[in-house]
Amino acid sequence: MAAQWDTSRYLSLFVSEATEHLDALGKELVRLEGGVTPEAIDSLFRHAHSVKGMAGSMGYDPTTALAHSVEDLFERVRSAPARFDRAVADLVLQAVDALGGHVKAANERKPFPDNTALIAQLKELTQSLRPGTTPLPSAPPANAPLLETAGGPESELPPRWLVTLRVATHSAQPGVRGFLAYKRLASLGNLFRCTPSLDEVKAGRLPGGTFAVELESTEPEAAVAKTVSQVADVELVSLTRVASAPPPPAPEETKGTEPEPRVVGQEPPRTVRVRTELLDEFLDLAGELMLATAGVREVGRSLQEELRGRLNETTDRLHGLVRGLHDKVMKARMTPVSVITDRLPRAARDIARRRGREIELILSGSEVELDRAIVDELSDPVLHLLRNAIDHGVEPPEERRMRGKPPRGTVKLSVKRASDRVLLEVEDDGRGMDVERLKALAVERGLLTAEAARDLPEREALMLSTAPGLSTAASVTDISGRGVGMDAVKKAVEAVGGTLEITSRRGLGTTFRLSLPLTVAMVNLLLVGLGDDVYGLPIAKVAGVVETTRASLAHSRDVPVLQFGASVVPARELSAVLEVPGRPHDVAAVSPFVVVDTDDGRVALAVDALLGQEEVVLKALTRPLDQVPGLAGVTVLGNGRPVFILDVARLERPNRLPAVGEA
Amino acid sequence: MRHVIFFLDRDRYALPLDAVREVVNAPESYSRVPHAKDAVKGVMTLRGRVVPVVDLGRLLALGLQPPGKGKVVLLELVRRELGLLVTEVEGIESIEKVGPQGRASRMVRGLARVGPLTVTVLDVEGLDAAVTASFSSEPERNR
Repeated sequence: MAAQWDTSRYLSLFVSEATEHLDALGKELVRLEGGVTPEAIDSLFRHAHSVKGMAGSMGYDPTTALAHSVEDLFERVRSAPARFDRAVADLVLQAVDALGGHVKAANERKPFPDNTALIAQLKELTQSLRPGTTPLPSAPPANAPLLETAGGPESELPPRWLVTLRVATHSAQPGVRGFLAYKRLASLGNLFRCTPSLDEVKAGRLPGGTFAVELESTEPEAAVAKTVSQVADVELVSLTRVASAPPPPAPEETKGTEPEPRVVGQEPPRTVRVRTELLDEFLDLAGELMLATAGVREVGRSLQEELRGRLNETTDRLHGLVRGLHDKVMKARMTPVSVITDRLPRAARDIARRRGREIELILSGSEVELDRAIVDELSDPVLHLLRNAIDHGVEPPEERRMRGKPPRGTVKLSVKRASDRVLLEVEDDGRGMDVERLKALAVERGLLTAEAARDLPEREALMLSTAPGLSTAASVTDISGRGVGMDAVKKAVEAVGGTLEITSRRGLGTTFRLSLPLTVAMVNLLLVGLGDDVYGLPIAKVAGVVETTRASLAHSRDVPVLQFGASVVPARELSAVLEVPGRPHDVAAVSPFVVVDTDDGRVALAVDALLGQEEVVLKALTRPLDQVPGLAGVTVLGNGRPVFILDVARLERPNRLPAVGEA
Repeated sequence: MRHVIFFLDRDRYALPLDAVREVVNAPESYSRVPHAKDAVKGVMTLRGRVVPVVDLGRLLALGLQPPGKGKVVLLELVRRELGLLVTEVEGIESIEKVGPQGRASRMVRGLARVGPLTVTVLDVEGLDAAVTASFSSEPERNR
């Protein structure tokens, strides 16, 4: 049961992501007409590679095979960009369309179309591009029906339509529009005889703004019209049945009997793309809702028993709903680690080649999901760990042979879910880290006394490699020997609330283990100093800062007030609001007053110092800290110091706010 | 059952070893918790985690001087930790029989003998409840 549910869940992810990559591939191919650069080929390669990887993880072997031959072709083209010509582009486009057919088939749980011929063609072309060969004479014309007919067993050909399309004259990119329409139609079936040719269409050379193509498809007329209508600036001029080579089995289809109501078949179902900022805003709002619910509960405490019971019941229900909403928002933010790992095989190959290493990279668990903020933050650190493993971990092949190891080193990157954490490990079978040398270096740089170094347990000694300026690299290389990298990795991991652990055995290899939280919430803070303490005020609630002396405050009904813009706001000592000891202050000295928006209106809070602005990860408060009124959460600053984030909106709830000078 | 034996000033106390995660040196400074009662030292970070710390002598209202530097005994509770500031940790002893003691407190289970010495055995749940109360602004204060 669970497995069933999982498959369908991953299927929709596969469909939307593969479609995205294929669309991008198609788009970039068209753009390449201008000029070919190795970077552009790299990008094409990555798309093909991603599709291959995704298909592989879904167990779609035919799709993997097809994507693999496209990838091989790009690999070859990369070393000879000049050989990338129309013929290559056309064949790749066909493969892209065929892959699109695979995705469609997967989505509808139908058998995959057979592409043996196409794969053979791709291989042949790849072969012919070998260094030292001459370009292939010329590939078949782009509009030749090279695509195999989808669907194996039934030999009857589907009906054929002559589709005539017009691209609006005001369209900025008629070529792209026309090509998009062509590609959309290709998702419905097989295309033949594009007039003018597809190249002409792509170039935007459309006599009278129209072009025509023959479509062989089992889809109803309405689906064709709908598909065309999804492309901006393109309209359907006419759709007529034409006779295809073997006379079509006309009768049943002409009445317009729909095979099945799947008019939306060509769109990935049930997924939408959302701006990531919007996801962040959702999360903020859900968080605010939770705090607001807690506020309601707080109010209830002052009610009589009977009323309180009824209010609590409703509040409990409200809390449950808000909690559910929060969970859903968090879920929507979950992103598979593959977003990072998909590019690693390619990167590993590059690094290994440059450093003269032989590497096998084994990825596992890339489907594990994390909050997108964490995934974003991890991208560089993970790449850095991979570089380290290859560059500093794995020995050159000759050295490995001498040590009796296989010449090819193995780097494993595995991701596992462990209760509410995600463990990401980068493990190599290289030379391991030299603990004694690390210690010696640390002593030399004055990070440790010789005595402390001697007593330092191995686990902590290994962590010395993350100290700024330390590295076991024998030489400073262009890849990772600069000794700044591990420091940054550790910082990035800790910034998202994770921890880094290193285990290493001399001669056998090193493992970096990242333990990461599933989710985070970010908040932008204004840090203020109060005596020796630091508190965070969410920037969103800060209206402004005024620097003035306490003596210069005006009074309104005995309450000190601060002029802020055109209005006056009551002024308080933050120390008194929080009931923490304040520093004695000189009424004639200038102090910062932070004007914040509370639920009861604006208030100016006197603080000792402004310490700057920082975006931090908000940690939820656990008991007993969640009992403290007026706190929204806690965070740990870069210096390891815990800082409370004030729930500005409800600061004054616990007590009446004492005025400045009173406390 | 094995217990961690520690000092508050010169008196010995015990907590079941099962409930103790680890003992660490008290930090140089704490971050102050707003509105908290006197027994609350503040919060410290330990390997990225934020841990509340309570002066155990104050919590038990023993009228002791706060320990100079001291040790923090970390209690492991369900998915959270709690630090208790004590004077020094002595070691681990087996305690089987806990007898009644005069002072009625939910924080104290009773007295036990370890060799020739008497130790006060504390109650983890009672401590937790008292700590939680000392972090909330209710009920005694301001009313």
